[in-house]
Formats: sequence, structure tokens, C-alpha cells
Amino acid sequence: MVRAYRLVCRSLFLAGLVGSGCGSADSVRESTQDKTDDELRGTRFASPIPRPEFSLIDTEGREFDFYARTDGYATLLFFGYTNCPDVCPVHMANIAAALGRVGWRTRQRVKVVFVTTDPDRDTPERIREWLDRFDSSFIGLHGTTAEVAAIQTELKLARSVMPHDTTGDYDVGHAAQVLAFSPSGPATVAYPFGTRQADWVHDLPLLAKTRGDEVAVQ
Amino acid sequence: MQWWCSAQGVAWDWTWRPYVGVWILVLLMAAGYTQLVRHGGGWRNAGWRRGSFLTGLGVLWVGLDWPIGALAAGYLASVHMVQFLLVGLVAPVLLLLGVPEPTYERLRGHSTLRRVLTRVTHPLVAIFAFNTILVFTHWPTIVDTLMASQAGSFAIDMLWLFGGTLFWWPLVSPVPARPGFTYPLKLAYLIANTILSTAPFLYLTFSQLPVYATYELAPPVGWITKQQDQQLAGILMKLGGGLVLWTAITVLFFQWYRAEGQP
Repeated sequence: MVRAYRLVCRSLFLAGLVGSGCGSADSVRESTQDKTDDELRGTRFASPIPRPEFSLIDTEGREFDFYARTDGYATLLFFGYTNCPDVCPVHMANIAAALGRVGWRTRQRVKVVFVTTDPDRDTPERIREWLDRFDSSFIGLHGTTAEVAAIQTELKLARSVMPHDTTGDYDVGHAAQVLAFSPSGPATVAYPFGTRQADWVHDLPLLAKTRGDEVAVQ
Repeated sequence: MQWWCSAQGVAWDWTWRPYVGVWILVLLMAAGYTQLVRHGGGWRNAGWRRGSFLTGLGVLWVGLDWPIGALAAGYLASVHMVQFLLVGLVAPVLLLLGVPEPTYERLRGHSTLRRVLTRVTHPLVAIFAFNTILVFTHWPTIVDTLMASQAGSFAIDMLWLFGGTLFWWPLVSPVPARPGFTYPLKLAYLIANTILSTAPFLYLTFSQLPVYATYELAPPVGWITKQQDQQLAGILMKLGGGLVLWTAITVLFFQWYRAEGQP
């Protein structure tokens, strides 16, 4: 069906009537020219990062044991903040849109976890309200600056910085990549800013069914 | 400071920004028109054409300058489409209608230029060129590459203006004379273009994923999703473009009706 759809679009395209191939397939092919179709499009780590063990407060005010609650699921972990003007909303929106495009089975095997890097402004309620704009199944976590910094260090991510301006308003510098943990354990791939919906649609089913060791040996 | 709008990748805010290149273009066109009018019998003789040209220049300015130019260059595909309609479809016809009659007459006496115009503005060439430019400037790879730089964004805008001028020329300009391009053929020319624009509309509106990285990865503006933005762009292309073309079709139809009614 998708092939037929692409064929129709490409035919129109070749007839000189339209702008390009279907969806963003063409542009995705450009960004992933060197990858085969069954290979993840994210950026691979040289060595897998073990699934971390930490507990933070979720948006319901309950303790959330990350390892226990996400074990067995493909888990996308992202550190950001709700006042973020660019990277965070684009990542969240693209993941949410892609989850809407993949099959139900894949969707059931993926968890998206957002950890705030701006605990002063991002209350659990604020995080919930913000995440609900994208997908109400996204998990939001809140911890102290020290707790979050320790997790980022363990994950080999740059620690967040908060340069305040003279008005007291501030942006938070933070790692822009989404870490993807396989259902059985480690993260072997990260998705930097610039990852497109087509990349997520391609990779989510692969992430949901891969075991950590399979991903690691590729 | 930027001289032309391009995709910046920074969060949108409603702070006004100057785009000097747009002002220079508008001023140069205004100065050129003043010269044309001066050689064509003065402002009084320009009559309604003066109003048409100034309106066209205003439409061009609005389409290229802040905020439409900035939003179109790096934030919203839907505004990019509004910009295309203003710069590539509405402004050219108003500008061409605004050219004084004596200027067109002078073209008639210029044999080389007339020969070039005869070929380049042939209706088949014009409609082909317009739609080729339409396809080229909406091709995702082209948009994503060119919109990232001021020169690239400028090139797209100028291609639109050029393509629109070519498209409207056979309908508006008396030079070169085309007695064979009758009212029915003019109507067919416009109707053909409404049909051709259906394909890009379908493509943008029904693509399952965002086609332009520029807009997909742009800092969000409001809560419109990337998919909604793209669908809106497709609908605007169809409805906005259709409105312009069907307005022209209606005007031509009544001109034809009046011409047939004359003894």
C-alpha cells in the first residue's frame, strides 16, 4: 500500500507536476545514504551505555524507578526543559508524530521518558501539561539539579548549564540527543537534533524488537 | 544583520527585524517605474496603471519583508506558501498591469527584444516555465538547501517573481501581439494551470510525513503541528492559487463577453 502510494506520488513527480517523492523519503535517504534499510539511523555509540538505575519523581508525584519501570521496553530518554524554544519541543513533537505512524504493537513496546533539566521552573504539573501537548503517554520526571547531573554524568552526557541573564530569565544548555535503550538493556544509539519523523518511523519498530546484544554487534 | 530572510534555526519572536535587501529591491523597482512613467507621459497619464503597479509593489514588499518573509524562510511551510502566492502569482500580474502603455509600445519597436519576448513569452513556454519553477522551488532538497542561506532564499524569491512574470505576460502584455491567443485559449491557459497546481496540493496535503526538513526541524511557532502546517500549505496553494486564477478567469470571461457584444 505504501509502495503503491509512493509510486503514485513519484509518477506525478516525474510528470513534472509535483515537488518530490512521497513523504520525506528522499530527504531521509540523503541523510542516511550509507545505511541499509534494516539498520538503525541513529548515531551509534562506540560502546553501549548500560541502562541506568535511578529514581526520580514522576508527574503524579510518585517515585519512578527508571530501571524497573522501563526494563523490557525500548526506552527513549531525553533531558530537556519545558521552556526550551527549539530542540525539546521539536524532538518531542517528532517522536509523538512517529509513534502515531507506527503499528500498535511497536507503540506498546516503546516508552518515552523526559527528565527536566530545569527543576526550578518545571514543576511536575508543568511537565505533565507540556508533555500532554505531544503525547499523554510520555513519562515526565523531576529531580534536584544534583540528582539529574549525576544521571547525566553516568550516561556520559554533558551536564546542563543555566546561564541567567540580567532579567532573571534564562535558557538551559543541555544535551540535544535522545538516548535509545533497547528492551533488554543498554543504549547503543542516540538521536541527535535533526532526526526527522521519517527516521523515527523507520527506527522505532527496529528498536522495539532488537535485543541489546543484537544492536551492539552490528 | 541579515539583508534577506533565510532560515536561522533560532526561536521565533515577534521582534521586528530589518531586511535591507528587500527595501533596496522595492526602491529600485519604484525608481525604475518612475522613469518609465516619466517617459510615458507623466503620472497623470498613468491612470489606473499607476495604482496597479504600486499595489503590486506593496504586495511584493509585504511578501518579502518581515514578518512574512522571515516566517516563510525558516519557520512555517504554510507562510512559505502564502509568500509564494504573493510573490509568484499576485505581485507579477499587478506589476505587469501597471506598466505604462508607451513602455509596451517602445518594446514593439525594439526588434531583438521583441524576438526574444516572442519566444520566451509564448503561452506554452510560459506555462511550462512557470510550472517548472514551481516544481523546482518546492522540491524538498532545493528548499532545504537554498532556504538556509540568504543568497539561496533570494534566488527562490526571484525565481518566483520571474516565473510569475512569464506566466502573466501573454495574458497582460500587448507585446508581442498574439492575435491567435484568443479569449477561449486564454481561459484554457488559466484553467490548465489550476489543474496543474492540483498535483502539488495533493502531494503536500496527503504526504504522510513532513517533506521539508527546514520546517520540520524549525523552532515551533504556536501549537500548529508540522503535519498540520504542511497540510495548510497544500490547501493554501490550491485555494489561494485557485482564487487568483479564477478571479483572472472571471475577468477575462467578462472581457470576452463585452468584446463579443460590441458591433
